[in-house]
Parts: sequence; structure tokens; C-alpha cells
Amino acid sequence: MFKKKVTAFTLAALMAVSLAGCGSGGGDAAEVEGKAEAAAPAKKVVIKYWYAYGDKIEEAKLHMVKTFNESQDKYEVVAEHQGKYDDLHAKVQAAFAAGNAPAVTDLEIASTGVFANSGMLEELTPYVEKDKDQVKLDDFIPGLMGNAYVNGKLYGLPFMRSTPIMYKNVTMLKDAGLDPAGPKTWQELEEYSRVLKAKGKFGMTVPVDIWFYEALVAQSGGQMLSEDGKKAAFNEAPGVAAVEFWKKLSSEGLIKMPVGDEAGATADKDWANQISAFKFGSTAGVAESLEIAQGNGFELQTAFMPANKDYGVPTGGCQLVMTSKSKPEEKEAAWEFIKWMTSKENTIYQHKHVGYLPTRTSAVESEELQEHFKQYPQYKVAVDQLQYARPRPMENAYPEVADILGDAIEKAIIDPKTTPQDALNEAAEKANKLLGK
Amino acid sequence: MTVWHKLRPYGMVAPAIIIFSLFFIYPIFYMIYLSFYDWNFISPTKTFVGIQNFVDLLSEPEFMQVLSNTTVYTVLTVTLTTALSLLLALWLNRGNFFYGIVQGAIFSPHIISLVSISLLWSWLMDPEYGLLNWVIGLFGFGKLQWLSHPSTSLVSLVIVAVWKGIGYNTLVFIAGLQSIPADIYEAASLDRSRPWTTFTKLILPMLSPTIFFLVIINMIGSFQVFETIAIMTQGGPVNSTNTLVYYIYEYGFRFFKIGYASAAGVILLVIVGILTIIYFKLLSNRVHYR
Repeated sequence: MFKKKVTAFTLAALMAVSLAGCGSGGGDAAEVEGKAEAAAPAKKVVIKYWYAYGDKIEEAKLHMVKTFNESQDKYEVVAEHQGKYDDLHAKVQAAFAAGNAPAVTDLEIASTGVFANSGMLEELTPYVEKDKDQVKLDDFIPGLMGNAYVNGKLYGLPFMRSTPIMYKNVTMLKDAGLDPAGPKTWQELEEYSRVLKAKGKFGMTVPVDIWFYEALVAQSGGQMLSEDGKKAAFNEAPGVAAVEFWKKLSSEGLIKMPVGDEAGATADKDWANQISAFKFGSTAGVAESLEIAQGNGFELQTAFMPANKDYGVPTGGCQLVMTSKSKPEEKEAAWEFIKWMTSKENTIYQHKHVGYLPTRTSAVESEELQEHFKQYPQYKVAVDQLQYARPRPMENAYPEVADILGDAIEKAIIDPKTTPQDALNEAAEKANKLLGK
Repeated sequence: MTVWHKLRPYGMVAPAIIIFSLFFIYPIFYMIYLSFYDWNFISPTKTFVGIQNFVDLLSEPEFMQVLSNTTVYTVLTVTLTTALSLLLALWLNRGNFFYGIVQGAIFSPHIISLVSISLLWSWLMDPEYGLLNWVIGLFGFGKLQWLSHPSTSLVSLVIVAVWKGIGYNTLVFIAGLQSIPADIYEAASLDRSRPWTTFTKLILPMLSPTIFFLVIINMIGSFQVFETIAIMTQGGPVNSTNTLVYYIYEYGFRFFKIGYASAAGVILLVIVGILTIIYFKLLSNRVHYR
């Protein structure tokens, strides 16, 4: 049907050409013919790219897709929004089962394992081999590559990557007579919060988010899972210390810990409305938070998350992956697109537009970003904090384990009778069953 | 000619039967089949595990909580919706313009998408910035946690469901009330029956087909609640609002355990099946006495 239309169209165009040729001599005929060819885009390879999140993140992604489509005429990428990471993953999985998966998709880093292990992802090693000089794999910041490999095979390239950082309302700290440098340790966070509580505020509003919890465990020198990934380790001393710290502060009213689906949004709102002085958040929020701070008339600085034994954070965000059942020419298009999206220029662009990490060493060292960091030091913190960053666990069962763990931590915090150790032991027992399989 | 006569009805119903089999019968059997396997939806091999999925499910305390959440949710939603809409119907069952407007107003939530409703109520019920807590505050009461605390979250969802369902139920009740012949009322008033007696001895029995219809339809609907949970709570906090269908979704599409999720689906099928059988039994024997 489509083919027929194209033929008819070409025919019409040719007729127009010959007519035009009659009218004004042979000179323009070739020119018009050229135009007719350009107007028939049948040869372009069209692929789908599925992505997560809206607002600035979406703006940046769509902008890069648009520039890719304009940069060449062989491939056409159609970008489709699919909600949050969870929604995106569910849809990709269902689409893959139906033989209808997008050629390229965002993939939250902790899910790389389960996707790769079920054969949904194309191994990228041969592609990178082929285009070594262009991709420059060793230019990616090493701390971001941890979740790119599954069983030693490369499956994704770092795209919009993040770490959690601490956002500070400096104006509020000054008003309370506190040092605007902010807390460097858990102990100091508690002291800051006491002063703020006396002023009728909260030190911090923080949701029970496993990503933040992973950070607190890292800061206490612990691990989420055992070395081989077969057992839970979060019920050991460091993991328990993290929940005890949260429970103590929230039960004394020093920090506020909302639970439930809206908890993350509540934390952001409390911070934006100057009810709490600090929030934890992804570095993806820097650009937006700067706008909020400016709009609400307070000064925003960012800082490392406070240390317990040491600093420590997980990395986060997504990488770009290729699904395994596309046609060869679609895979070729997908690979060109992935290269484009993860290039030095584009990682600089998305960093400045959203706040996600620049993923390449050459980008961090570039004059453009050095200048940008000087002007807006808020953007630089996440980059500096990377030296304390670690990958997220990628076991098949981890999403489920995280769910169980979230419930356990919420319970320990809400219910005065449940001790953190008991709640975590119970969660660990369930998790071990899942991880041991 | 006779062959055509014999075949014609089959030809006529064939499209409906084909679509029904393809989209209803086949998936049900496929789900039952999958519930005996361990599979992640993608991998080429399915492992047969017998009834292990059911054993796991029934020995899982979380699943027991899910079942109890679903039951509590259903009982509360159905009782409240039915009782309130019956009251409203009695009040609104007269033909003047004002009552028409009220009826239209309470019916309007029925035609709004559940997703919009969920987002709207999430905002209304926000503990810090929501309208409901502000109103409560005006009367000098403390803040309620609504969806953010395990003790109130399920009830909050019930409120949303009742608000959404009440209009449709009222409409059906009004239709039921109007189908009661006027001469029965007349006879009752000639006998000087008191309003309460009229209600219990006349209206309720005459309405019983409508009541049973609504109760069963609402029960089946409540057992399958999903949208509000997916949008407003995601089963939390601490699993307090996790219900059967959301649980199935979570295991099928977030944890990639399609066999386990199918087993939960089979259990849902059995429950809804029993409810449906009761419904048809009651419909055929019990309720009509005219």
C-alpha cells in the first residue's frame, strides 16, 4: 500500500519534472528531480527509542534525538515517552515478549542484570571494537562503568547518570545562625537539625528510598549484598546503623520521614517551601532546583551526602541499551544513535541542561564545563563525589529485594515496637530465599 | 438449503465466539497453564514446577495480607457505596429540577477517568499541602496522614472508590424505585403504614433485585481494584494497600515472575468465579417474588 503510494508520488513528481522541463528548458530539470528524490524518504531506517521521565530530562532527550535526525539522512529515530523507570521496564519487557520492542531504550542501571540475563539485550562489545576510535571506551569515567558490564560482557553505555547529593538551603542556615558550610557528618547533621527544630523547622525531609539507603550503608562502610550476591548483607551492623540513625532522628522530630508513594514528592515540596533545610536528591535535579530556589528567593548550594565512617554514594540513572531481536539494519541505526547520544558534546549538553553527570573524562576536563563549574559550583559536587561512588547491585532478584527492604525500613521507622535489627533480619531472610535461587 | 439452515446460526455467532475465545478463553487457559511453570516471560525455556507456585503463594505472609487487604477494601467499599447510594436515591427520587442537578453532580465522577481521579485525590489527601487537611485544620483538628500511614491508607482508597461509585449506584437505585408500581404505595398509605415500615416491608423487598445486582457487581469490581493503587500508593506504605490485582502486576511486570503472578491470577479467577456463581444463583431463585 505504502509502496504503491510512493510510486504514485514519484510518478507525479516525474511528470511535474517533465512538465517543468517543457516550460523552462533542460536547465532546472535535474534540480527538480533531485528534490523529488529527497522527498521520498522510503529508504530511511526508522527505529524506536523509549525513554523515561518528563520535564527537563525529556527536553534534553528530545533535543538530542532531533539533532541526531538532522545530522544525517540514513536513520530516523522516533522517541516515545514511557513514564518512570518501572513503567518503562515493564513496557519494554512486554513489548519484547510480543516481538515489538524498541531498538534502543533507557535502562535503569540496577536492572541491567535481569535484562541481560534474560537475553533481551544485545552485547555491545563487537560494536565498540569496530568503532574503537570513535567511542573511546576508556574516556567514560570508570566509576560509571560498573553497571555497564554483566558477567564481563558490555551491555550499555552510560547516558544520564547520577549520584544522590545533598541540597542545602543556605539562606535558612544563615537565618538560624548556622555555618552555611553545612553538615559534613551524620553527627553534624543531627546537630544542625536540633538547631533548626528549635526554630520550628525540620533539618531534612527524606523519603525511605532504597537508593538513599544504599548511600547510608556505603557511608557506614557496609554492603547491600554479600560479595557473590547470593545473600543479603544489609542486616549487618552498617545497614542497621543507617536505619537506626533515621529512626532516631525522625522519632525526635529532627527530620521528617514521610512514607508511601508521595513521599519523594513531599520531600521536594518541603524543601522548596523552606519547611526543611536539606534534601537528598539526584544530581538530575540541580537545574530545576536552582530555578525553584531562585523563584522562592533563597540561596541553594549542593554538597556531598554527610559521612558516617566515610563518604559514600551509589551511582544511579540510566544507560542506553540495544534490544537483541531487531533487524541488522535497525541494530546498525541503534548503534549510530547510541554513539551520538553518549558523545562528549551531548554529555556536556545534557549535564548543563539537566544536571546529570558528565559521563566522559574529556567532558569534565573541557574548558566549557570548567567554566560552567566556576559559575555554578552546584553542578560540580556530584562530579567530585564520584570518587566515593560505587555501582548498584544488579542481581536478578534485586528489584524485588529492594521492595521488601523498603517495606521493612518503613515499618521500622513508623512502628515504635519494631527495632531496625528485627525488621532488617526479617527482610534479609526473605531476600536470601530470592537471591539464593 | 437445510444445511444452510443448520449452519447459519453458527456462522452468525462465529465472529463473537472467535473474538471471545481469542481474548478471553485462551488467555484464561494460558494463565492456568503458566501457573504451573517458573518463567520470566522472555527466556526460551519454561521450567515445570507443579503446584510449587501455589504452595509458595499460600505460605507467603505478604500474600495473606494482600488477600485480607482486598477483602477489607471490598467489604467497606461495597457496604458504604450501597448504603449511601440507597439513601441518596430515596432522597433524590422525585422529579424536580433541583434534584436532577444534584443527581447529575453526583453522577459526574462516574464518567471521569480513574487516573485523573487518582491524581486529584492524591493532591486532596496530601498530608502537608492537601485541601482536606486544610479543611480539617479550620475545625481545629490535627493533620491526618491519609495515604501516608498504614493505618489510614486503605480507608482513604475506600473513600475514593465510594466517591467514584456512588453516582452510578444511585442512578440504578432510582430506576429501581421508579419501577415499583404506584398502587403498592397507595395500598400502604391506605393501611396507614408508617414510613419506616413502608421502607422495610415494602421498598426493601421490592428493591432486592437491584440491591443484589449492585452488591455483586460492586464486589467483583472492588476485587479487581488496580488504577487507584498503581497511581496513589503502589501498594504501600508497608504493604498496607497492596491488593490482588496490583500484586499480580507487581510480580508479573516488575519482578519478571510470570508463573507466580499467574498462580495469583488463578486465585483471583476462583474468587471472582465464586462471586459470579452466587450472583446467578441468587438472580434465578431468590430475589424476585412478584
